[in-house]
Amino acid sequence: MGDLLVEKTGGPSVFPYQPDGLWEELAGGANNGPYQQSSGEDLYRRSLYTYRKRTVSHPTTSTFDAPAWEICNIKRARTNTPLQSLALLNDTTYVEAARKFAERILSHEESGIESQLKFAFRVALSRLPTERELNNLTAGYNRYLEFYKTNQEVASQLLANGESPTNAELSPDALAAMTSTALVIMNLDETITKE
Amino acid sequence: MDTIQLSLKNNRRAFLQSSGLCLAAMAAASMAPNAARAETLRDDPSGGLAGLPHHKPTAKRVIYLFQSGAPSQFETFDYKPELKRLAKTELPDSIRNGQRLTGMTSGQASFPIAPSIFNFQQHGQSGTWVSDLLPNIARAADKLCVVRSMHTEAINHDPAITFFQTGSQLPGRPSMGAWVSYGLGTLNQNLPTYMVLLSRGTGRAAGQPLYDRLWGSGVLPGQHQGVKLRSGKDPILYLTNPAGCPPEIRRQMLDSLQELNGQTAERTLDPEVTTRIAQYELAFRMQTAVPDLMDLSSEPQHVLDRYGPDVTKPGTYARNCLLARRLAERDVRFIQLFHMGWDQHNDLPDHMGKQCRDTDQPTAALIEDLSERGLLDDTIVVWGGEFGRTVYCQGTLTEENYGRDHHPRSFSIFLAGGGIRGGITHGTTDDFGYNIVDGAVHVNDLHATILHALGIDHNRLTIPFQGLDLRLSGVEPRKPIMEWFA
Repeated sequence: MGDLLVEKTGGPSVFPYQPDGLWEELAGGANNGPYQQSSGEDLYRRSLYTYRKRTVSHPTTSTFDAPAWEICNIKRARTNTPLQSLALLNDTTYVEAARKFAERILSHEESGIESQLKFAFRVALSRLPTERELNNLTAGYNRYLEFYKTNQEVASQLLANGESPTNAELSPDALAAMTSTALVIMNLDETITKE
Repeated sequence: MDTIQLSLKNNRRAFLQSSGLCLAAMAAASMAPNAARAETLRDDPSGGLAGLPHHKPTAKRVIYLFQSGAPSQFETFDYKPELKRLAKTELPDSIRNGQRLTGMTSGQASFPIAPSIFNFQQHGQSGTWVSDLLPNIARAADKLCVVRSMHTEAINHDPAITFFQTGSQLPGRPSMGAWVSYGLGTLNQNLPTYMVLLSRGTGRAAGQPLYDRLWGSGVLPGQHQGVKLRSGKDPILYLTNPAGCPPEIRRQMLDSLQELNGQTAERTLDPEVTTRIAQYELAFRMQTAVPDLMDLSSEPQHVLDRYGPDVTKPGTYARNCLLARRLAERDVRFIQLFHMGWDQHNDLPDHMGKQCRDTDQPTAALIEDLSERGLLDDTIVVWGGEFGRTVYCQGTLTEENYGRDHHPRSFSIFLAGGGIRGGITHGTTDDFGYNIVDGAVHVNDLHATILHALGIDHNRLTIPFQGLDLRLSGVEPRKPIMEWFA
């Protein structure tokens, strides 16, 4: 949705965002530690290319039920946990993706919040929002906008999550508000779950 | 809501799943966990299985103090005064009896007996023998069930810890805490069911690493995996809102999300959506509950003092022991500490001294603190490593210095609380501390015992996997040690 995904095929493993200190806690920093985060397009590769350390799996794989590769698994477990909620709301990966998604939404050719949110909904869910859904998101956006307008410093903090540059042509308060809205859309059950 | 809608509400995703099963998947179902039979959950918020507990439990929760690297039994609980006389003599073949050795000592020309240079005393009314290295634990002797006759099948760290944690040396099976979470569910609505805390001892700086699969859920669903409570600014991964997202904005986002997901639930009648809403709210509550757990400002000075000076340092064993008590108070079901650094291949007297200094006072403080708060009555505490150490010396034996290799045939652990009788010493080893003479306890017997305390029949907590009813206590016949219970 944020158009950050790099669809390149092949190449060496990459080191996407990961909370500090994870390797050191278990393996004492031994064997290729400490974790050296990638930069540029290596942050946005498919998770298939994420480096796998056998002693410490990347939190995305363990939180989202990836098999551990230690035993044959013919059926993946499907769980629904609070740790997943925390990751999807707070991990830099998703906050940055929400910001890039917000840039896309705000740059949509039809201006006006309603048409922008309709566009966002179609990108995320391949359908238009109902009136209730649109009202909910519009009201939310306006509340966030009100807050970030009077808290410009906080807005720029939100926009600083992730390495990719921010579109400087967009107003920071509108972008911060739309980032929050985009994060809500990305966290909808309908977005997360493939039906 | 009419009947069809009701049944849809209950079964929609389940129906879609089952109708999507092809023949091959059905044939394979017996190999896959949870595919062959749907478990029935208890009708309460715990999420545990219906029919459990199987009998009246003696414990509600577990605190497992895992001493990773394997502490020596000769310097802790297995008193062998005879060895002084045998010092430097060769380990008789009749005692070793063909026992395989690790590659670290199998090439040694000689296997000289190394007696402990530390003395032992009897403690408490029970007269339990405890080494002078553990003066604080010794004070709690009458609360302990010391087991000197543990044995395992593994001889190296990874398979041995995996065996203790999962009942199998092969990686990939569910860990103890995951089994308990799966069977009994949660006791609290704000924190994970199984929590793990790590610390590193000063006895062997570059000790054995741990692996996060040790507290994994293996072939059980991921929600049962142990959640690591870290010592840094984010005690649980991604607990903190990102920069630029203050709590009031987050709350508004969650309200919006809850309403939108609620509309999806109304439209689809899908119970998974309702679960999703609940999980986002639980995540939000964790953002308050975890900082509250980690905030020690309400602990009076005399309590902090009891756990020792390290308690002020995050990430130490002492701090983790205090957090273990706070987790027990908050009814976290399975609390597991891993303390690294017990792997005294060389310089044992010095390194063992340091390891014991790190852990003796906090361990005793935890037991006494739990006891005074009445929590020891329904909390089973277990202390122990993954195997024992050899009676013979690894490397050069001198009057002051020696080392010990891995030894699976006999070692010591202790239990306390949760219905386990205090002041007992179980099992005997031979004069060399090499073989068990009486009261052998297999690792899987310990599993059966812990489960028994929690009200679980270890033979009946199973999932179908690879053609077997997989269980924590393995495939051989095992039994809980009933004589430990009051």
